[in-house]
Amino acid sequence: MKFRLLLGLSVLASLLFICASLQAHHGNTAYDPDHPITIKGSVTEFVWSNPHCQIYLDVKDAKGKVVGWSVESQSPGILRRNGWSRDSIKPGDLIAVTLLPAKSGAPVGFSGEKTGKIVFPDGRVLKMDQR
Amino acid sequence: MPRRPKFSAKFLKITLALLPLAFATPARSAPRQKPASPTSAPAPKRDLSGMWQYQGSGGAEGIAPEKTIPPMTPWAQAKFNQERPGYGSRAVPDGNDPILQCDPSGFPRVMLFPLPFEFDPAPGRILQFFEREHEWRAIWTDGRSLPKDADPTWFGYAIGHWEGDYTLVVESSGFNDKTWLGATGYPHSEDMRVTERYQRVDRDTIRYNITVDDPKAYVKPIVAPERIMKLKPGAEMEELPCVWSEENSFTKRIRQPAVAKPHP
Repeated sequence: MKFRLLLGLSVLASLLFICASLQAHHGNTAYDPDHPITIKGSVTEFVWSNPHCQIYLDVKDAKGKVVGWSVESQSPGILRRNGWSRDSIKPGDLIAVTLLPAKSGAPVGFSGEKTGKIVFPDGRVLKMDQR
Repeated sequence: MPRRPKFSAKFLKITLALLPLAFATPARSAPRQKPASPTSAPAPKRDLSGMWQYQGSGGAEGIAPEKTIPPMTPWAQAKFNQERPGYGSRAVPDGNDPILQCDPSGFPRVMLFPLPFEFDPAPGRILQFFEREHEWRAIWTDGRSLPKDADPTWFGYAIGHWEGDYTLVVESSGFNDKTWLGATGYPHSEDMRVTERYQRVDRDTIRYNITVDDPKAYVKPIVAPERIMKLKPGAEMEELPCVWSEENSFTKRIRQPAVAKPHP
C-alpha cells in the first residue's frame, strides 16, 4: 500500500506543479500576469481599432483623486466574436474592468484572454476569449 | 497477485521520470494547450477546408521552447544578439520586434497566433488565408517542385502533398531573412526550409507539426512541439491588417505609458 500511496502522491505533485507552471506562463512583459485587479470608473473613450481596442476611464483612487486609466484589450475581430461591437462601451458608462496592471505602476493595464472582463452595473458582462 | 507490483513499478518509474519536468521552470514560449482527443466525427478524406484556429495561449509564442532550440551558427548568433524581444527569457518592455513597425510576421510565425485561418481548395493549390495581418499564401498541390532559387519573400513558396488521406505535408522555402521565428525572437536565414504536417485526426482537430531546417543558422533542425488546431464552424474572418497609423497611436497611448514611470 505504501508503494501505491507514493505513486499517487508523486502523480499528484507532478500535476500540481505542471498546472502552477502553466498558470504563470503567459503575459506581455509590461504587465503583471500574477496579480489581476479590478478597477471601477467612468468611461471617457473607447477606441475600436487594431491592433488592440482601448478603453480609457476615470477611476477614483483610495484618496478620492481621479486617475485616468488606459486599458488595452483584444483586436476588434476577437471582441466581435465575443459579441462586442464598436458601441459596446460608450463614454459615460460606469464599468468594472478586470485587468493585469502595468508592472511599472503606471495606470495602464491589459484586459483580455482569460482574466479580462468588463462588468456593467446591471450585471452584464463582456468577455474577451480568444477561442 | 504477482502482476500488480510489476505494473505499479512501471508506472512509478514513468512518474518519477516525469517529476523533473514538473519542477522545471516553464519556458515562456511553451504553448499551453490540451492534447487532442479524437472524440468528434471522423475527418473527411483529403480535405482541410474550413476555418481553423490554433488553440494557443495568446499570440506571444516562440516557435519552440527556448531550451529546445539547437545551437546557432556564428552568423545567426550575431543576428540573435541584435534582437530585443518582448517575450521569453530575453524579454524587455521596449523591444525591437519587427512586427511593432508593421513588418509582416511572415512564415512560419503567422501560424503561432491563436487567430483564425482558412483552408480554401482551388485548382492545383490550396489557399490559406490568415486573419492575422489579412495575409494569405498558396500551397501548390499540382506536383511541381520547389523553385531552385526563388526570390526571397515574407511568406515563401509552398508545395504540398497528401500522405495517406488525412495528412497534408507542406514544404516551403524562398523566405527572406527579415522575420523572427516567434515572439521570443530567434532569427533564420534565406536558406530556411520549413516542413509542416497538418494531420486531421477527426472532423474538428488538426495536429500541427513544424520543422525548421536552416543549416546556415542552426546546427540542426528546430522541431516545434505539436500544436492543436480546432475547426471553428460558422466563424467569419475578421479584418486584422497592421496599419502603421493605428500601430503608432497604440504605441504612444498604451505601449509607452505602460512602461513609463508614473508621475507622482
